[in-house]
Formats: sequence, C-alpha cells, structure tokens
Amino acid sequence: MAAVSLNNVVKKFGTMSVVHGASLEVADGEFVVFVGPSGCGKSTLLRMIAGLEDISAGEIVIGGRVVNDVEPAERGIAMVFQSYALYPHMTVEQNLSFGLRMNGNDKADTQRRVSRAADILRISELMHRRPRQLSGGQRQRVAIGRAIVRNPQVFLFDEPLSNLDAELRVQMRVEIARLHKELGVTMIYVTHDQTEAMTLADKIVVLRAGNIEQIGRPLDLYDDPNNQFVAGFVGSPRMNFMAGTVVENSSSVVTVKLANQGGALLRKPLGGPLPAIGAAVVLGVRPEHFGLAGRGDSDITVKVDVAEHLGSTSYVYANAGGGEELVIEREESRHEASLDRMTVSLRATHTYLFDSAGLRLR
Amino acid sequence: MRLRTRTAYAFLTPYLLVFLTFWIWPIANSFWLSFLNTRSANWTFNPRMTWGRLLVDPAFANALWNTLLILVIQVPVMIALATVLAVLLNSPILKARGLFRFAFFAPVVVGEVAYAAMFRLLFNEFGIINKLLVATGLASIPWLSDPNAAMAVIIIALTWRWAGYNAIIILAGLQSIPEDVYEAATLDGVSKVRQFFYITLPLLKPVIVLCVVISVIGTMQLFSEPFLITNRGGPGQATETLGLFLYRQGFGAFNFGYASAIAYTITALAVAISLLNLWLGKERE
Amino acid sequence: MRSKSSAERRRGIALHAALFPLALIWLFPLWMMFVFSTLPENGIFSRDIILTPSDQFVENFNLLESDTGFIRATTISILVAAAYTFLSVALTSMAGWSLACYRFAGKGVVLATILGTLTLPYFVVVIPQFIMVARDFGLHNTLFALIVPPLFNSLGVLFMRQTFSMMPHELFDAARVEGVKEWRIFLFIGLPLARPAVAALSIILFLHSWNNYLWPLLINSKPAMMTAPVALGSLIGLTKVSWGGIMTGAVMLTAPMLVLFVALQRHFVAGISAGAVK
Repeated sequence: MAAVSLNNVVKKFGTMSVVHGASLEVADGEFVVFVGPSGCGKSTLLRMIAGLEDISAGEIVIGGRVVNDVEPAERGIAMVFQSYALYPHMTVEQNLSFGLRMNGNDKADTQRRVSRAADILRISELMHRRPRQLSGGQRQRVAIGRAIVRNPQVFLFDEPLSNLDAELRVQMRVEIARLHKELGVTMIYVTHDQTEAMTLADKIVVLRAGNIEQIGRPLDLYDDPNNQFVAGFVGSPRMNFMAGTVVENSSSVVTVKLANQGGALLRKPLGGPLPAIGAAVVLGVRPEHFGLAGRGDSDITVKVDVAEHLGSTSYVYANAGGGEELVIEREESRHEASLDRMTVSLRATHTYLFDSAGLRLR
Repeated sequence: MRLRTRTAYAFLTPYLLVFLTFWIWPIANSFWLSFLNTRSANWTFNPRMTWGRLLVDPAFANALWNTLLILVIQVPVMIALATVLAVLLNSPILKARGLFRFAFFAPVVVGEVAYAAMFRLLFNEFGIINKLLVATGLASIPWLSDPNAAMAVIIIALTWRWAGYNAIIILAGLQSIPEDVYEAATLDGVSKVRQFFYITLPLLKPVIVLCVVISVIGTMQLFSEPFLITNRGGPGQATETLGLFLYRQGFGAFNFGYASAIAYTITALAVAISLLNLWLGKERE
Repeated sequence: MRSKSSAERRRGIALHAALFPLALIWLFPLWMMFVFSTLPENGIFSRDIILTPSDQFVENFNLLESDTGFIRATTISILVAAAYTFLSVALTSMAGWSLACYRFAGKGVVLATILGTLTLPYFVVVIPQFIMVARDFGLHNTLFALIVPPLFNSLGVLFMRQTFSMMPHELFDAARVEGVKEWRIFLFIGLPLARPAVAALSIILFLHSWNNYLWPLLINSKPAMMTAPVALGSLIGLTKVSWGGIMTGAVMLTAPMLVLFVALQRHFVAGISAGAVK
C-alpha cells in the first residue's frame, strides 16, 4: 500500500516539452484516473511513474520515497499495458511467472502467487494456453494477473480496455472495480474515455496538452468544472456551448445576450468579479438542464434536426441558427419528434459561464 | 524510452569494435595509403607514384575498359532476364513452380570457386560446350584463347550466377504489388502484355534500380571469375578487370599504395554510378 | 467463358514452353558438375558427349585429396563458417537491439556511419585489413584471421534493428516493470521473438562465409590453413591436376548448400530480399 505524489513533474523530449509541471497527490488505496484526449501527456505521465520514462524535472514520490532514480522493478508498481504485452512465445503460466522466475524468486512462492492470481481472475483453466489462443477478454485478465503476481503497492493501467469491444469493455470495467475493492491497493488508470473515468474513479485528473486542467471527484468535476475544457470533456452527451456577450453587469448579476438564439437574454448571479460590459462569454448548458418552455429564466427557440428516442429518454439534435449544434435531453417527449421547431427554457442556476479564455466565471 | 546509455553501449560495443577496426579504420587508412610510395623501404608521401601513375598506366586503362564493357553489356542483359524470370515465375498458372524456382535460384548458393571451375571446364577448348556446338553442326569456338570469346564466357558465367539472385529480389517486389490493380486493368480491357509495360514495370522501378545498383557495385569488384575462369584475366590481359588488377598490384607486386589508389577509384566509380542510377530512377517519377 | 479458358490454356503452354528450355540451360552446369565428378579423367575430355554420371566419384575424390588436403580444408571451412555465423549473429543482433531499443548519445552517428558506408566495395578495406592482420598483428594463417575481420559486415545490424523495432515495445516495458534485467529481456524475449529473422540471417551469413574466397585466399595462403574454396581454387590452372578431382570438390562445396537451400528456401529468400531491400 502506498500513496503517490507528483511534485512539479516535467517531461521533455529534446527541446519539446510534453508534460509541463504536473503536481498531484494520490492517497493510499485510491483509484485515480488520468483522462484527456490523445496526446495530452497522460500516458507519458503514467510511464514516468512506472519508471519507463526519465523525469526531466520535479520529483515522484511513491510510498514516501523519491523514486526518480529508482529502477521500475524497485518502485513497488505493476503495470497493465494497452496491448496487454503478453509474451507470445510463453504459456499463460509462464507469462505470469516470468518476472518472478527471472528474479530468482522461490519456486513454491512463485507457484502460490501465480495460482492466487489465477483464482482471483478465474483463468486457472487457461494456464497452458498461449496468448494467441485466448480471446481479448482472457488476454486482458492474464495481463492483470501478471500485475497481481507482483503484489504491487500501486497498479498502473495504460488504457487497458481500448482494444476490447463495447460489451467486453463494460464487463472488464466492472471487473477492475471489483478488483480494486478486493485488493484495496492504489490504482492509477489512464484512459481517453470519460465514461470509464466517471465510473471507475475515486478521483479524476483531467489533462490537456501536458497540463493538469482539474483534479476532483467525478461528480464534482461534472457539477463544478473549472473551465470550458473540463466542462466539455466530462459528461456524455457533452455540454452545449452558446456564444454570448455581456450586456449588463450590476450587483453580482450579469446579463448575457446569446448571439445565435434570437438574442435571448439570461440574467445570471455571480459570486466573483463580474466581466465587463461587451465582453465575449460562452454559456454552457448540459443536455438534461433544458427545461420546458416558460418554466425557466429565459426561453430559446431552436430548429429540430433529428430526434433520437432511446425509450426512457430522447435526445433532440437542434440547430440554433448560427451553427451551434445543441443536444437537448427530454423525458416523455416523443410527440416533439414531429416538430420543426421547439422552445426550451434555460435556468440560470443550471448554466455555466466561461470567459473568452475558457475559464469559469463563478 | 528511458535513457539507459550504459546498457545501450554495452550491447553495441562488441560489434562497434569490430566495425571500427576492420571497416571504418581501413577505409580511412586506405585513403592515406593511396598517397604513399610503398615500393621503397620507408613509405613516403608521393602521390605521383600512385594517383599520378593511374593516369598514364595502360594496364589500368585496359582493366577499366574491360570492367566498364562487362558492366554495360552484362548488367542490362541480366536485369532484363531477371525481370522476365520473376514475372514468369510469379504467374499463377505456372505448374511445378518449386522446380522452376530451384533451377533459377540454385546458382545463388553456388560458391565462386565451384562455379568458376565448372565454367572453365564447360568452355574448355575440348569441353562439352564445343562438343555440343560441333554436334549441332556449328563450329567450335576457342572460348578461352580468343579475347572476345573469353569476355563472352565471363558475361555468360556472371549471368548464370546472378540472374536468379536478382529475380528473387524482383519477385519480392512483384508480390508487394496489390492484386486489385491488375483486376482493375483487366476489367478495363488492358492486355496482359500492356499490363506488364504500363503497370508492372513502373511499379517495379525502385526494385529494379536497386538491383542495378547492387549489380554495378558487384561488377566493379569483379575478381574471382577472371582470376579463375579465364586464368588471371587471360588471354593476355583481355579479361583483366579492376578487381584483378588491384589484386595483382597489391598482392602480387605488394605495391599497397598503388593498389589503394585503384581501390579508391573502384569505390568512387561504384558510388558515382550508383548515385547516377538512383538519380535516374527518381527523375521520371 | 469457354474462349477465355482456352486463351488461358494457350498462355499456360506458352509460359511453360518459354521457361522449360531456359530452366534446362540453367540446370545444365550443375548437372555437368555432378556428371564430371563421376567420370574417369579420359571421360571428361573424350570425344564423346557424355551427359550421364558414371561411378568414379570416390576415385576422383581420392585424387583431389592427394592433390590438396581437401578434408582438412573442409574441416576448417566448417569450423570457420560456424564460428563466424554464431559470432556475427551475436554481435549484430546485440547491436541491432541497442539501436532499436535505446536512446543514447551517438546513436544517430553510428546509424549514419553504417548506412553511409554500407555499399562501399570491399576492395576499399582489403589492403589495410591485410596489412593490419598479416603484418601488424602477425595473425595470417590463423583461424582468427579467417573468422574475426569479416565480422564487420553491417547488413545484419540493420536487419536485426529493423526486426526488433517492429516488435511491440510494450513487451519489453512489461518485463522492465517486472524487474527483468536488460540482457535477459534481450535473451528471453527479444531473441526468441526474432527467431525467423535470426534463421534467415544465420543462413545468409553461413553461406557467405562458406563461399568466401578473396580474403581467405589472401590471408591464409599456407596449404595447411586453407579453406576449402581456396584449396580448390589453388588447383585451378595447374597442369597435372585431376579435373575429376576438382569437380568432386566443387560438388562437395555445392551439394550441402543446395540441400540447405531446398530445405530452407523460405529463409534463403527472406534473407536475400531483406538484405537487398534494407
């Protein structure tokens, strides 16, 4: 068991900087997910924790020990790779025991650890098969098994589910959550899939272009994003953004005029400093936060493109004129499918306001 | 990737030592040698004895001429033959493919000495080739004592030895051409012969250029064939090549300086001709 | 449909009619090599056209053995080719591994040097090599001289580098995380996965050493230290030498390689086309 902390960690390849100073605390036993679009530096960060990449500046601490110059094997970590990285010329059993055998571990102990891992993952029947004789899900289990065998203090997962089909992905997600509960060890998990992040994490770290954008519990990020990027990245379908301008600001309330929604006005109370009149802002609204016409603080009318009916809910894809595509979630709205236009309401407390740099105005 | 400089060097060093000692250092050393008069007890700097001599030595001019002659005749003939062989061997309707491939590819594994001995015997004055010529009503040819005939023997031997080698490379190139290109052409009503000239050849060009370059470099170093088949470049010096001339200067007369100058000439010519080929290969793209 | 299939049949006949005589011509020298090795001396130079083997192979071989110690020379050749192949595969696969799997200062220079000098003719180094090994080291007429200098060949390095860099590197990372030492990763993961490449490379290197002529001719001129091709070559052009004997030597040099070629054709072809395509 170990806590992990990153202090101002930087990664440079030559002169190109890929991670620009990441700081982060991972508590003992916590499940932390690094999420972000491809190229955001999340995998690099994970590989630095593993010791597969050098740290250009800053320090990484695992279990109270600075590990910058510690070999991967000495860090008390185990890693599950995106491609599973199973040795193709070895059987499942040999794959599981390879590291222990190479390090001269006691034979009986190796045997014991391997069968324990096999039990946990229910792969005991597959021990004498080779990786190419296994299905994707089975390979995934073996890869996780290989990590368990090491008794690590910290598990590292690098996009472990991205090679599986949708159904298996859900199944393995549950499996990994169960494993975390069972083993109770620290896990750091990298993915580009925000659904995985939301469902698995105790704590999510959102990365973009080598910077940590926000750290928080899944629902905190969902309800209270710090900036437009996080707001857009977390949640599915994603948050709608509408361009607007500030037309009035007085006594902790701004009035925003939406550019493409027929000039609709929305008055929104803010706690912090108010943006200047004439400032460009972006208003964010989650699909489920559009209300029935007349029931909110302001109404907008949109042109309906397509409606998708999923049974319990429907998603209406609407066009607001100026090019902004809006997704509106409706319950009991089957009749609206035939509509050409519809009017929905906005509620100030269920909207998010961002300045032109994308920072949240609270 | 983590910096593991020490591990990397540990893996690289054994090879690197051999590479530097027996390849890079000799390349540099040979250049320096080519300026030395190595016929005196103390080797002294005197390029007139090496590079200067090259310009006026009729034996060098003869070897250069012979080498270029072989190059100009043998390489195109062999490459054309190899291309045709590769295309025919690749044909889906070919029966006994393994047998045919064996026939043409087998010479690749035959050593220089074994095949040189063989060709020397085949083309002997009283050898089987002449006996067959006479039996079919033709005149026997003094293969190894007539300068032109001796040259022909060298060219025939080289072609026998290397056509299959080039065919293997071209065949690999052929097999990387996607089948659907031909299917599309067939649907368009393009004949097989036209498909060869308008699809296969253009797509094969990089591979063929590569074969030409390899063959040019090989021809510039021609040694064993004139040494063994035509008995040290005979008759007279009619088949003496640059490689053989270098051998005689370096290891017959032990004139290392002059031989090094010849070596650098061979290298410069090989590089120049290969670059020219590569350039011509690119030009038309 | 019928006309098309008859056109196809005509094409097939033309194809075989063109290839068959050509294949016969190509096989002719090898066949005659074998035939000559079995004929008595007066058979080779008789007036008759003899195209079928006789039964004098052993007698001819005894003549060869008395002309030059061919069995000893062959033993040297086998030893040298085996040692050269083993060492060359070891050195070049280690170097290829290093260049494929690590970042280090000087890597670009090493690669550029190898690539830049790859196609230089062998003649450019043969004189300094000879001076160094024979005069400076005094190692002519030794096994060392036959085995070690030719190890410079860099095609294997590029071939193995290519092979290793096409493997998923997560495999090696997975082993690193498990604390497996680098040389064990190379030995137990990299090399086993590279087996087809190693096979192709070994075959090409063995063939290269087995048939090598110029360097052994120069450096090991003492009859007791000659390789088989050099020993055989030393007879060519001499008078009073048994040509039947020479042909048995040629057959003994060639036949094992032909058998290997037939058995391992796939690896041969892979080695040759990879060596050329780089």
